[in-house]
Amino acid sequence: MVIQFLLLLAVAASLFYFVRQQHGVRLQAGKRLAFVAFLFFAAYAVIRPDDVTWVARRVGVGRGADLVLYATVVAFVFVVINFYLRTREMERRITELARAVALRDAEILNQHRLPTSPAAGPDAEAAMLAAVVAEGKRP
Amino acid sequence: MHDAPVGRREDHKDVWLVIPVYNEAQVIADVVEHARQTFPNIVCVDDGSRDGSAAAIAPTGAHLVQHPINMGQGAALETGLRYALSRPGAEYFVTFDADGQHRVEDALRMLEVARSGKADVVLGSRFLESRETVPWLKRFVLKTVVALSPTARKLKLTDAHNGLRVLNRPAAEGLRIRMNGMAHASEIVGKLARSDWRVAEIPVTILYTDYSRAKGQSLVNGVNILFELSLRHRGA
Repeated sequence: MVIQFLLLLAVAASLFYFVRQQHGVRLQAGKRLAFVAFLFFAAYAVIRPDDVTWVARRVGVGRGADLVLYATVVAFVFVVINFYLRTREMERRITELARAVALRDAEILNQHRLPTSPAAGPDAEAAMLAAVVAEGKRP
Repeated sequence: MHDAPVGRREDHKDVWLVIPVYNEAQVIADVVEHARQTFPNIVCVDDGSRDGSAAAIAPTGAHLVQHPINMGQGAALETGLRYALSRPGAEYFVTFDADGQHRVEDALRMLEVARSGKADVVLGSRFLESRETVPWLKRFVLKTVVALSPTARKLKLTDAHNGLRVLNRPAAEGLRIRMNGMAHASEIVGKLARSDWRVAEIPVTILYTDYSRAKGQSLVNGVNILFELSLRHRGA
């Protein structure tokens, strides 16, 4: 059946997309075009369901609505993986940010807690405090 | 559970203990004070605890770094290593658990190996000598993980998820932990396998106290770890 081939192709394509290391502008644009195409397809399916059923018959699915459902499932999986990866990238950035904040604050905190600490001298502390104030954050 | 102090503190000025802390207020002060009898330099990374762990650490002699939000053990380890690396004279870095599972004596024996120059990274192993302290289900799962992990096999490791590790300075600088959660253990092993650092494994004893048993890693979390790892470098 053609539909099985198409669905397997969709799975292989999504694997290939998401396993690739770098995501450039082209991929980004490709995702957006696919999204727009999907919208058009959905609108068309609503206006001319018989046409979709005709296509569905060609590829071996009984009804047009089933074909739309299959396409939706594929799109949904795509969106979920994409969302997961973006969330994780964001998490990574938050980690970097929070780590920077934690290390900077620790410098001041431990300077006061452990006066014998052989870390940065008083000049460095003043500079650090100035930096903290400049960022609008209370030390 | 604590034994007498071992070794002289002055001998270990170049050593930094890195302890990730998450909701360990009950025990962390004891663990820190005991370890400080041997190791003068300790940094505790409070990973956004909500039980007053930071307040428990404050009166101790350990350096305290506080994550503004909870980010996971991997993230806390990385933060601790960054902090310790920025201290003058820091040469050796020991990752240590906050719940009293690890023995200072084991850390010392591992340090000896690192200091001898025979290895850049020394990992603790629960399975190198037959010891009866590991619960059988945990033993079975951990051994299966090692058997299935190509990187652990490449390094001929017997225990891929031990939290007690000693790193020398180049290794600690080169290690960049990117997995925030519990998958960092596998991530570290993977990095070691790809690097040309020499890795040694030393038998250690894990003290499975009631406290650590209750707190410890649920084996179910292995599912989460596998999921995190399977998608680690993928996409944006």
